Amino acid sequence: MGNKQTIFTPEQLDAYQVQNKLNGLFYRYRDLAPQLVPLDYTDKPDVTLPYELIGSMPELKDNPFRQRIAEVFSEDGDGNMTLDDFLDMFSVLSEMAPRDLKAYYAFKIYDFNNDDYICKSDLEKTVNKLTRNELTPEEVRLVCEKVIYEADLDNDGKLSLEDFQHMIIRAPDFLSTFHIRI
Amino acid sequence: MHPPAGPAASPGPAAPPAGAELLRWQWQEVQVPCLVAAWILVASLAKIVFHLSRKVTSIVPESCLLILLGLGLGGIVLAVAKKAKYQLEPNMFFLFLLPPIVLDSGYFMPSRLFFDNIGAILTYAVVGTLWNSFTTGTALWGLHQAGLMDPGVEAGLMDFLLFGSLISAVDPVAVLAVFEEVHVNETLFIIVFGESLLNDAVTVVLYKVFNSFVELGPAHIHATDYVKGVASFFLVSLGGTAVGLLFAFLLALITRFTKRVRIIEPLFVFLLAYVAYLAAEMVSLSAILAVTFCGICCKKYVEANISQKSRTTVKYTMKTLASSSETIIFMFLGMSAVDTSKWAWDTALVLGTLLFILLFRAVGVVLQTYVLNRFRLIPLDRIDQVVMSYGGLRGAVAFALVILLDRDKVKAKDYFVATTIVVVFFTVIVQGLTIKPLVTWLKVKRSDHHKPTLNEELHEHAFDHILAAVEDIVGHHGYHYWRDKWEQFDKRYLSQLLMRKSAYRLRDEIWDVYYKLNIRDAISFVDQGGHVLSAAKLALPSMPSRTSMSESSVTNLLRESGSGACLDLQVIDTVRSRRDKEDAAMHHVLRGSLYKPRRRYKASYSRHFISPDKQERQDKEIFRQNMKRRLETFKSTKHNICSSKSKARMKEKGRKKKDISLTSDAPNGRTHRSVPWQEAAPVLVMVSSEEEESDSSETEREDDEGIVFIARATDEVLQGKATPGSLDVCPSPCIIPPSPTLAEKELPWKGDQADLAVYVSSETTKIVPVDMQKAWNQSISSLESIASPPGIETGPQHRRFACPVLEEQPQSASQAMPEQISCFQFPSHVSKSGRSLSDSSPDGVEQQELQPLMAAEEQGRALPPAEPRRLMFSRASHI
Repeated sequence: MGNKQTIFTPEQLDAYQVQNKLNGLFYRYRDLAPQLVPLDYTDKPDVTLPYELIGSMPELKDNPFRQRIAEVFSEDGDGNMTLDDFLDMFSVLSEMAPRDLKAYYAFKIYDFNNDDYICKSDLEKTVNKLTRNELTPEEVRLVCEKVIYEADLDNDGKLSLEDFQHMIIRAPDFLSTFHIRI
Repeated sequence: MHPPAGPAASPGPAAPPAGAELLRWQWQEVQVPCLVAAWILVASLAKIVFHLSRKVTSIVPESCLLILLGLGLGGIVLAVAKKAKYQLEPNMFFLFLLPPIVLDSGYFMPSRLFFDNIGAILTYAVVGTLWNSFTTGTALWGLHQAGLMDPGVEAGLMDFLLFGSLISAVDPVAVLAVFEEVHVNETLFIIVFGESLLNDAVTVVLYKVFNSFVELGPAHIHATDYVKGVASFFLVSLGGTAVGLLFAFLLALITRFTKRVRIIEPLFVFLLAYVAYLAAEMVSLSAILAVTFCGICCKKYVEANISQKSRTTVKYTMKTLASSSETIIFMFLGMSAVDTSKWAWDTALVLGTLLFILLFRAVGVVLQTYVLNRFRLIPLDRIDQVVMSYGGLRGAVAFALVILLDRDKVKAKDYFVATTIVVVFFTVIVQGLTIKPLVTWLKVKRSDHHKPTLNEELHEHAFDHILAAVEDIVGHHGYHYWRDKWEQFDKRYLSQLLMRKSAYRLRDEIWDVYYKLNIRDAISFVDQGGHVLSAAKLALPSMPSRTSMSESSVTNLLRESGSGACLDLQVIDTVRSRRDKEDAAMHHVLRGSLYKPRRRYKASYSRHFISPDKQERQDKEIFRQNMKRRLETFKSTKHNICSSKSKARMKEKGRKKKDISLTSDAPNGRTHRSVPWQEAAPVLVMVSSEEEESDSSETEREDDEGIVFIARATDEVLQGKATPGSLDVCPSPCIIPPSPTLAEKELPWKGDQADLAVYVSSETTKIVPVDMQKAWNQSISSLESIASPPGIETGPQHRRFACPVLEEQPQSASQAMPEQISCFQFPSHVSKSGRSLSDSSPDGVEQQELQPLMAAEEQGRALPPAEPRRLMFSRASHI
C-alpha cells in the first residue's frame, strides 16, 4: 500500500475503475520501457510510449489488430500510449465497464478511417485481417455487403454506432467475450 | 451379451454320436455370439417400439423405458429359467459397453464450450465428487452408529466411505440419456456433462483407495497410505489424460498417411481409441479420461486428414455403437435388478442414501457455485444450481462398481447392491421423469439452436483477436492469452506435423472444387427429380411471400410423405429469401478461410442425432438454390398464363395478411429482416418488375399514411416517422419483441404461431398499425407484381396492373371477410385503425357499387390521383 502512495495520488487512484489493479498495471506499463517511465507518477509526468515499442512485443506479432487497438486507445491516434491510455484500455475491457462503452470502443476499433461509420472499406479491412488476405476481393466484397446488410438498420449502406450497438445487443456472446479479467 | 454366463446357460444333454449325421445341432458353438446378437436385437426393437408413440417418448425418457423393459424381461427370464440370468457384468460393462459411449462423447464434445468452462467442470468433478463421497459416507456411518440401521449391516466407516465414493459419482451415461432430451442451455449442459465425464478419475481413485483400505482393515492403515491415496489421484487423472493425449497424437499421425488405404481410416479411429482405453485400464489409470481426451484432441486433425466418406462413417458408426451400448446398459440394468439373491434390503440405508445424495449434492453445488461465481463472468444463477443438483443422476457405473465389491471383504455388499439399485432407479426414473417438467416450470434457459449471423461470426473472431492483443499489451496472461498461444503453437507445429499437407495448405482450393462438384451434382439431381417438383408446385399456392401458417400444413404433408426430393422441396418452399441464401454462402466463404480456426462449434451434443456438418449443409444449400431458381422460372411463366386464379389468390391474400400481421410485430420492420417473407416478396418475384413496384408502393404508401392519420391520431408520430420509406426509423430497442430466432428464419414453419400470437397481444396497440401498413404494402405490391405480367416496364402498363388490383380489391374485401373476422386477433379498435381494405368491411359493398364508376374514371386518369380518392371514401366511412 505504501508503495502505491509514492506512485499515484489518491485522486489519480479514484479516477480509474481499476484501482486495485493499478499498481500491477503500472509496473507492466513501466516494464515496456523502464528507461522512459519514471517511478513517480504523482506529478503527472508527460510520458508516452511510442507505438513501435508496443507493436514489437513478441506476443503481438501475429495479432492482426495490434496497431488498430493501439491507435484507438491512444490519445494522439497514432498508437503512442500514455499511462492514461494504457489504463483506459484496460478499464474499457474490465467487468465494470458498461456494455455501451465496450460497444463504443469495439466500434471504434472497426472504424478504420475514423469517420464514425463502419463503411465498406472498414469492413473489408477487418475481413482481410481476419482471413489473412486469403479471400479473393470478390469474396471479401460479398461478405462485407452481407454484413452491412444484416446490421444496417437505417439502410444507408454503412453501419452507424446505433446499428452496431443494436447488433451487439442481439449477439448474446458479446458480453462474455469482450472482456478481460486480471 | 453375456459371455460369462454362457456355459452355464445350457447344460444340453450330450447325445451320443450316432454315426454320420446330416446336420448337427451346434448351439454350444454359436451360443455366445448368438445371445449377444439377440439381446442387441431385442433392445433395438424395443427402441423402435418406444418411438412409435411420440407422446410417450416426449414425456418418459428412453432410459426409463429401457429400465422398465429390462425389469419386465428379467421377470420373464426369472419365471422361465427359475433363476436370474443375463446380468450386467462389470467386466462386460467396463470393457465393451462403456468405451463407445465415452469415445462418442469425447469425439463430439463441443470443445470450445468445454474448455471455456473447464474451470467450473473441474471444480464440480473433483471437489464436488470428493465432497459428495465423504459427506455421504460419513453421514451414513453416523446413521449406522446411531443404531438406525439393521444390525445385519456390518460395515465400518471405511465401508461406508467406499460406498459413498461409488454412489456419489454422477454417471455420464445417465446424464446424457436424460439431458439430451431436456435441452437446457449449453453452459448448463456442458457443466453437468463434463462433470460426469471427468469425475471418473476421482471415483476410480476413491473406490480403489477405500477398497484397499477395507481389505487392509482399519487397523493396518498407515499415514503413508493416505498420502499414497492423494498421490494416486494425481497419477490416475493426469496419467489417464496423458495416455489419451498420446493416443490422440498417434491417431492423428497415422491418419496422415492413409492416403492410399482410405477404406480402413475409420478403423484406426476406433481401434486406437479403444487401445487407449485398454492401455489406461491396464495400468489402472482413468480409462474414461483417456478416451475422452483422446476423442477431444484427435478430432480436429483426424477430420482434416481422413476423407469425407470416412468422416461420415466414423460419425455414424460411433453414434450407432454408443447408442446401442446405452440401450443395452439400461436394459441390463433393469434385468439385473430382479436378481433377489443379491439383494438385502434395509430401509434406513436406502432412504438415508437417497436423502443424503440429494441433500449433499445440492449443498455441494450451492457452495461450489458460490465460490465459482466470484470468478465467472456469467454467474450460474439459482435456477441453474437447482437443475445441476437435480441433474446428478447415478447410473450403471455405480452399479458395476458395487457388483465388483468382494463379498468376503465388504460384509454389507448385499445391502449396498440393493441400495445402489434403488438409487440408480430412483435417479434415472423419478428424476429423469421430473426433470423435464422441472426445467419447464423453472423456465430454465433452453438452448436456442440458431445459426450465428455473419456479423456474430465475424465479430467473434475479431473480438478474440482484440482481446488477445489487449491481454498481451497489458501483460496479463489470461484465458485469451493461453488460447492464443495454443492456437499459434497448433498452427505452427502440431498442424504441420499431424495434418496432411494437402489438408493443411490447400483447404480452400479443395473447398472450391468440392463446391463446384456439388453444384453439378445438385443440378443433375434437380433434373432427375423434376417431375416431383412440378407436381408439388402445382399444389402450392404461387406467391413466394406466403408465410408459415397456410404453408406449414402443406409442408408438413410433404414432409410426412417422406421422399427425399419432397423433403428438400419443402425446405425450398419455406421461402428462403435471397438474403438467407447469400447468408449461407457467405458463411461458407468465411468458414473456409477465417484465419486461425477458432471455430465455435455449435454446442450441441446428441448421441442419437447427427447434426449436419459443414459439407452437408453446403449440399443442401446448393440444392435449395437450384430448386429455388427453377421455381422462380416456373412461376414467372405460370403467372403469364393464369390470371383466372385471382379469386383463390385473393383469399390467400387475406390469409397472408393475417399471417403478416402476426409475424411482423415490430414497428420498424427493417430490424426484423429475418422474417423471410419480408425480403422475399420484392426480391424474388419482382426482379423483373422492380420499377413498377417502387412506383406503386410509393403511391400506396402515401394514401396509407393519410388514412392512418385520420383513423388514429395517436399513431401520428409513429407513422410520420415510419412511413416515408419506413427505413429511417430510429432503432428503438424498447419495443422490439424478442428477436426472431434464426431457427425461425431457417425454417419458417418453426415460427411458433402460439408465441407470435402472444407477442401480438402483448404489443402496445400503437405498433400494430405500422406493421399492418407494411403488411399491406407488401401484400399489395406482391399482388400487383403478380397481376402484372413481368417484363413490361414502361408507362402504359401502369394502368394495366392498376386495374386488376382495383377490381379485385373490393372482391377480396367481401370474400375475405368471414375469414378475416374469424382469425383476426387484434382488439377491434386496432384492426379498425389498421385500415387495410378488408377490415373496412362495410365499405365492401359500397365500393363494389362504386367500382364501375371508378374503373371508368380510371381509363382516363393516371393511377395516383385515383387511388387516394377511392381510399378517401373508405376512410370517410371509418370516421
